Amino acid sequence: MDQLNLEKLGIPTVTISSSEFISLAKDTALGNGAADFSVVVVPHPMGMIPQAEIRKKAETAFPEILKAATDWKPVAKLPPQTPVFPAGRFQLEGTIEEVNRFFFEKGLSLGLPVIPPTPERVAGMLKGTTRKPDDLLGMVPPRMGALTVELVAIHAAMAGCEPEYMPVLIAALEALLDPRANWRGLTTTTATSAVLVIVNGPVIYETGIASRQGAAGSGHHANASIGYAINLIADIVGGSKAPSPDKSLLGGPGDFVCWVFGENQLALPQGWDPYHVDRGFNKTDSTVTVMGVYPPVDNIDHWSTTPDEHVNWWAHLVTPLLSIGGPCWVSQMYQPHIVALGPEHAQLVSGAGWTKDRFRKAFWEKARIPFSAWPKGCPNVDLLVEKLGPVNADTPIPITLRFEELHVVVAGGAGKHSHFFPPFPGCFPVTRTIKK
Amino acid sequence: MPNRKRQEEEKMKRRSPKMVFLVMSVFLACVFLFSFPAFAKETKQKWEILNPEGVVKIEPMKINPHPSTLDGKTVMLRWNGKHNGDQFLNRVGELLKENVKDVRIIKSWEVAPETVDPIAGSHERSQEFARAIARFKPDIVIGAQSD
Repeated sequence: MDQLNLEKLGIPTVTISSSEFISLAKDTALGNGAADFSVVVVPHPMGMIPQAEIRKKAETAFPEILKAATDWKPVAKLPPQTPVFPAGRFQLEGTIEEVNRFFFEKGLSLGLPVIPPTPERVAGMLKGTTRKPDDLLGMVPPRMGALTVELVAIHAAMAGCEPEYMPVLIAALEALLDPRANWRGLTTTTATSAVLVIVNGPVIYETGIASRQGAAGSGHHANASIGYAINLIADIVGGSKAPSPDKSLLGGPGDFVCWVFGENQLALPQGWDPYHVDRGFNKTDSTVTVMGVYPPVDNIDHWSTTPDEHVNWWAHLVTPLLSIGGPCWVSQMYQPHIVALGPEHAQLVSGAGWTKDRFRKAFWEKARIPFSAWPKGCPNVDLLVEKLGPVNADTPIPITLRFEELHVVVAGGAGKHSHFFPPFPGCFPVTRTIKK
Repeated sequence: MPNRKRQEEEKMKRRSPKMVFLVMSVFLACVFLFSFPAFAKETKQKWEILNPEGVVKIEPMKINPHPSTLDGKTVMLRWNGKHNGDQFLNRVGELLKENVKDVRIIKSWEVAPETVDPIAGSHERSQEFARAIARFKPDIVIGAQSD
């Protein structure tokens, strides 16, 4: 991506890619309109090998690098462009099982069952929105598949959504298409990342979005089918399929159904605003917030009786290294992290008169580790010094540069758990109003 | 003897309803089993399906021509921060100096450390990196990208 942006500034480039990542590099280039670009492939891996070995790889590749720099000409051409609307149709004959097998073998499902998107089902789904079927929401990376409202309805039908979920789904997708959400990074990374969707406002009750006990788990049709539809769109329209361009090293359940829950607004402590109000919206607005995250850390605190004790639990569990922040990738320190407080933990904190700000400030001050705890070899120490001032081995490094980057929502039901969602690099929360 | 025969006949009469019931039960069980196999065979049907794949919409992008020689040119080596990328490029830089006349080598991580970030994240940030590198007016950028 960075190389392509240099090309856009008129600077020719040669990209060195390891053999395991060449298809991702090519897909990224194609998705940005470059059918061909100058690339030299080096046998994987490049990282985590001795210096003598990496220098040897450079020597072996050098003649090709020199040739690529001075004697490269594009050969491949872009595929022909076709209209984005209406969606194509095809006929099939078979049982529901055979239709599902066809979908999976053609790369049109994730492997879980889908409901065949017949014209009747899709027309029914479109009744859930006032948006026109040919409205173009944007291009889903990395394939840059054009996402129309009709295509959203097709995937909603496949995932088993009800028509009234469409406005939530459309708002979530528009948020993901915002460059700040970094959907591309999320769907092509080696990390076990997932999309987190937080719903706020009256829509929770109007649409049946679960916001209490086990909200993000099974048994909640709206949450599960919306989460499934989002991942269907990422993989099929966005083309983010493993093993490439989805480079997930292990992957996880979040690749099938992403995290979806409503904030438990009924359990908000007195004086604590709902999350969407913190984000600048009105209490009566219905909103959806999306964010690319790593799997959460579960804070199982059955024992604290004061907010200070509870914050200490957090400080033992959560460190800046969780989100590979700090000296490795200082940019992470600017990113919001989501603290999904269980209602009982929220009551513990607020019962002592703590505001949301006081809680997150205390959390931020406590959850630090000394600089000496960082792995050796992390780059960017200079940038850390620039941000935090001089550091030595004992300097406590915070998770984020400012406490305000800890975003607090109240989530789930009864129990002594809370969850911390570290952000995936480059991902910022994006909130959209849900419009019918 | 006639008495015994009568007893046998009466015994048979008593047995008959049981036999009839048994035979009927077996018959009905067979009918049930053969009519409803363990896995009902689904009937095939014709489906019209809307294609969920969508189409790719791409604005063509111009890729710049490369110089025919690096003699006397400025080459920027761009490292994104992934492990060993700098070591690889350091060696490439040494080899360029050995093999190319009057080549000028600039290392991005030395002149623009803010661009050392393995995951630029957003398109805007990636553009910022590109602008920071472009300020040095390289004739070509050789970048090491991956793991």
